[in-house]
Amino acid sequence: MSKQQSTNTRPAATSQEAVLRATDLTKQYSELTVLDSIDLTVHAGSVTALIGPNGTGKTTLLRLLLGHLEPTAGNVEYAGPAVERPIGYLPQQPAFRPHFTVEETISFYASLLETPTDTKELLTQVDLYDVRNRPVEALSGGMTRLLGIAQSVVGNPPAVIFDEPASGLDPTMGTKAFEITAQLAERGTAVIVSSHDLALVERYADTVILLHDKQIAAQGPPQQLCQTHSVADLWEVYDAVTATETPQTNTEVTQ
Amino acid sequence: MSTIVSTFFALFKRELKTAMRTRVYYLITVGVIGLLLALTAGGGGAATGYVPTVVDLLLPLEVLVPVLAIAIGYRSVVSDLERGELAVLKTYDVPSSVYVFAIYAGRAVVLSVILGSGLLATLLLVSFSSGPDTSIFATHTGLDSPLLFARFIVLTLVFALALLAIVLLMSVAAQSTLTAIALAVGAVVLVVVAGDAAIILGLTDGWIAEADLLNALAIAPNSAYRGAVFETVIAVTAASESGYGSPITSVAGLFAWTIFSLISATLILHRRTV
Repeated sequence: MSKQQSTNTRPAATSQEAVLRATDLTKQYSELTVLDSIDLTVHAGSVTALIGPNGTGKTTLLRLLLGHLEPTAGNVEYAGPAVERPIGYLPQQPAFRPHFTVEETISFYASLLETPTDTKELLTQVDLYDVRNRPVEALSGGMTRLLGIAQSVVGNPPAVIFDEPASGLDPTMGTKAFEITAQLAERGTAVIVSSHDLALVERYADTVILLHDKQIAAQGPPQQLCQTHSVADLWEVYDAVTATETPQTNTEVTQ
Repeated sequence: MSTIVSTFFALFKRELKTAMRTRVYYLITVGVIGLLLALTAGGGGAATGYVPTVVDLLLPLEVLVPVLAIAIGYRSVVSDLERGELAVLKTYDVPSSVYVFAIYAGRAVVLSVILGSGLLATLLLVSFSSGPDTSIFATHTGLDSPLLFARFIVLTLVFALALLAIVLLMSVAAQSTLTAIALAVGAVVLVVVAGDAAIILGLTDGWIAEADLLNALAIAPNSAYRGAVFETVIAVTAASESGYGSPITSVAGLFAWTIFSLISATLILHRRTV
């Protein structure tokens, strides 16, 4: 799905144009605060990676951005172009009707939109066109994830949210999933991805948001985060921030 | 075709396709046909006529229909919730009401085909094994007829679809497939057993007047179904006896259960997915 191959027809979102904006976002469950005063902006044409230890609210933040969860305080604003499907979503464990073929699955989702979808092109982009007649139950975990990615971009949404697209996949498939996120960003899509694979995040993300202790503990391009913390790679940034820093000593790196 | 209509049909078609590719539904259909034919043959009603067969099948169907409704409906929504499919569908702006009604319509067709096949097979068995007078279609009071059996089939399907709506409501409210089956069984037992028990209690305690009994029967699905079958099928052949139930109120009661359950399911689903 290179820039040259793409026949993207969605309204152009100028690169670095804000597509999603979260302001003072807080989520509490009874007395438990999961996220506290999160401010973030997701730009068109970039990959924003959300990292952090388990239980720091990554999935909660993604659900808030999707509008699937009501914030306790603050708000999420979609600032992208007016389209039929503003945000696409890949759940952590995408699951489909097992007896449906790959092509039937994508055709079903395409039929939910008025905007026509070229299913052949879509499946070719994620390397599933050759197995289009295979039932979903006969796909490998990696192929199912790729089908999930194809589903997430049906209708060319200006923003897509991927919840751990590489988890449980072999290195080749994990890399493939991240390559697609980068290619989507090249086309101008705002991609938000949560992941525990820091090597892939460092390689493909334009902006990294490190969640720790309910807040954004560090934010910026991977290289700048490394420079700021005087470390060699993102893993060491992660280690340094989650081991020593508290939310009061946030590291904010401006792009 | 508007977006809502096309979305409804896309979801509805997906339910039907899923059902057509699910082998267990074929096994259930064969099982239901076999069971109803065995009950019909074993009860001896088949040789006598359509109405005696209805009498033979009425009580077993009051048990079989809830079981089928649970089997076909308990996973209808909770599976999509567990798979995260509803979160995905929400990004396509699928309204909760369209989703609930489409899933219900799809499952309703499945349940109607399974139950209808069994009852139609029974109709055929009776038509081949009973006396010549049961082939008369021009019916009037006091005469057994296949039309009376057709009426019984329709009432049974209306009863089944009301129970399916209740089961679907439980599927929306459940947190997992296991809780869905527990809730569905609990809810069906509640409306089936507790409904009848409440009416009996109401009569004995006096908070249901005898004059209101026919309307009160329409409140619980089973008694509404039973009352409608007695009044519109069985009592027809015994002209002097009637007053088992109010057919219009009973059918209205079953429709009310269906609509109430589907609207409640829509509201709960809307709350669950924001």
